[in-house]
Amino acid sequence: MSPLHLILKEIWHHRWNSLWTALVLTAAVALLVAIRLTADAAERETRRVMRDLGFNLRIIPAGTDTAFLWSKGYPDLTMPESHARHLAEQKGVFLTFNHLTATLRQRYPLARGEVILEGVSPSISDEGKKPMGYSIPKGSLFLGHHAAQLLQAQRGQPVQLGGRTFQVERVLAESGTEDDIRVYAHLADAQAILNLPGRINEIQAVDCLCLTSDQDPLAQLRATLTQLLPGTQVLHVRALADARARQRQMAEKYAAFSVPLVLVIAALWVGAMAVLNVRQRRSEIGLWRALGHGGARLTTLFLGKAALLGAFASLLGATLGTVLALAYGPSIFHVTAAAITWNPKLILVALVVTPAFAAFAAFVPAMVALNQDPIETLRAD
Amino acid sequence: MIAIACDDVSKEFPSRHGVVHGLDQVRLEIQRGEFVTVKGASGSGKSTLLLTLGGMQRPSQGRVRLDGSDVYALPPAQRAELRARCVGFVFQLFHLLPYLDTLENVLAGLPPASSPTRFRATALDLLQQLGLGDRAHHHPATLSAGERQRVALARALLKKPPVILADEPTGNLDPANAAQVFQHLAAFQREGGTVVVVTHGPDADRFASRQFILERGRLTEAHAHAQAPKPL
Repeated sequence: MSPLHLILKEIWHHRWNSLWTALVLTAAVALLVAIRLTADAAERETRRVMRDLGFNLRIIPAGTDTAFLWSKGYPDLTMPESHARHLAEQKGVFLTFNHLTATLRQRYPLARGEVILEGVSPSISDEGKKPMGYSIPKGSLFLGHHAAQLLQAQRGQPVQLGGRTFQVERVLAESGTEDDIRVYAHLADAQAILNLPGRINEIQAVDCLCLTSDQDPLAQLRATLTQLLPGTQVLHVRALADARARQRQMAEKYAAFSVPLVLVIAALWVGAMAVLNVRQRRSEIGLWRALGHGGARLTTLFLGKAALLGAFASLLGATLGTVLALAYGPSIFHVTAAAITWNPKLILVALVVTPAFAAFAAFVPAMVALNQDPIETLRAD
Repeated sequence: MIAIACDDVSKEFPSRHGVVHGLDQVRLEIQRGEFVTVKGASGSGKSTLLLTLGGMQRPSQGRVRLDGSDVYALPPAQRAELRARCVGFVFQLFHLLPYLDTLENVLAGLPPASSPTRFRATALDLLQQLGLGDRAHHHPATLSAGERQRVALARALLKKPPVILADEPTGNLDPANAAQVFQHLAAFQREGGTVVVVTHGPDADRFASRQFILERGRLTEAHAHAQAPKPL
C-alpha cells in the first residue's frame, strides 16, 4: 500500500487533528504573506514619504561662508561638476547613498523681483529606483508658484530667462516655503544663464547608512567623503536623516520580531498536534514494525502527513494572505496603494517552504515516538 | 526441521525496584508444523517471549533462530525483512488500522515490497473463508470483536508465513469466536505452518501438539501431545 494512500486515509480518519494542524499552518502562512506584502507596502510608503522629506546629505565646497549659506540657502562658492560623477563612481566603495544630484543655485534678479535659479542635474539613482527630485529636460523650466507670477508665465508657454527662451513645463503648487520663488532648470541651462559652465555649488544625496545621531553617522560620512572629494565639506541634515534611519530601523526590528514570532507559534502548534497524533498512533507504529516495516517508511508516513498538510495550507494560506493584503493594504497605505499586488515569488516560496517547515515541526515528536518502544503497546501480558 | 529456537534467552527489564527478569534462560526448539501453546499467569513473560521470538524485542542475552537465521545478529533492516517474510502476528487487541477498511487491513499485512493489487483477490478469498466476505469494505469500528480478530488473522495469513505468533488471540472473544480463531490457526498448522500461541486459558489446549508453562520468565514443558490436533 503506498504511503500516500495511507497518509490520505489517516488524514481523513483523524480529520479534526489534521484540520487544526492545517488551519494553524494556513493562518501562519496567511499572516506571513500578508505581513510580507504589507511590509513591502510599508517600505514603499516609507520610502516615498522619506523621499518627499528631501535630501539629507549636502556636499558643498570647503570654505563656504556658513553665514551666507544659511541666510541665502546656498553656498557662496562653487566646485567642479565632475565631483558628482567622481562620487557616483565610488558608490559602494566608500559609502552608500541614493539619488545623487548636482545643483547650481543662485539668486537671480528679474524685472519684477528676485527668484532662486536652481540648475538640477539628472538624478543618479539605483537601478529600478525612481529618481528623486525633479527631472527637468533641457530647455524647460519648472516654476515655483510665486516665480510663475513674477515671470507672468503659465504652463506650456515660452518664457525668457537670461536672454534665452524656455518652455514652462510645470507650475508648481503653492508650498508656503522658499520653493515658491524657485525656478528649476536643467543644470546645463542654469550654468549657461549664470555663466558658470561646469560648476556646481552643491551635491545632494540621501545617505543610506541609516544610523541615528547617537551612532554618529556624520563622523563616518566626513571621514569617507573628505578623503574622496578633497576641497569639499559635508552637511548632514540630522532631523531628516534621523527620521529616515529610525523609520528604517523600526521596520527592520518589527519584521525581525513578528516573523520569528509567527514561525515559533506555528512550529509549536504543529509540533503539539504532531505529539498528539503520534501518541494516538503508538500502537500503529508498533504494528507496522511487527509487519516488517522499517523506520524509513514510518518516518515517511508521519513526516509525509505533515508535509502534505503543509502543502495544502501553503496554497490556502498564500491565497488568503494575498487576499487580505489586497483587501486591507490599500486603505492603510494610501500613497502607494496601487503598488500592492500579488507576489508570485512569495507564493512560490510559501509553497516550497511550508511543507518543509511542517515536516520539520513534526520531526522531533515523530522521531521520539519512533525511537521509543512502541512494541510495548502490542503486548497483552 | 526447526522453525524457531531459543538458546538460553534471557530478557531483563530495569525498574525502580531493581531488575525484572522477563525471560530467564529460556531454551526452546519448535519444529515446523507444530502447534505450541505457552501458558502462564499475567506478567509471567508470555508477551515478552512472543515478541522476542518474532524479532521485535532484543533479548538481554542468548540467541533466537527463526527460519534458520540468527534473528538478532541481523541488522535492523534485514531483521524487519525477515519478520515481514516469516512471521505473522496476531494480537489480543487486534491492532487493526482504524482508517483502513477490512480488505485494506488484510493487505497491510503484506511485506512492504509486495503489490497489494496482486493479492487483492487472495485477500478477498481469505476473508470469504473466514466468514467476512460481506465485511470487506467495513471499517474496524463497525466490526464485532470476533470479526476484528478474524481480520487480524487474515492479515497474518495472507502472506503465508512459516510461523504465526499469537499473543492471547482470544483474550477479548467469547467462547464461540475463540473456538473459531483456534480452528483457523489449526487449519494453518495442518497446511504445514507453525503456530505459537501464548495464553493464560485452556482454550487452545486441545489444538496444541506441545504445551509449555512460563512462570517468572522460566519456561518448562508441560506434557507432550500428538503432532496432530485433536478432532473437534
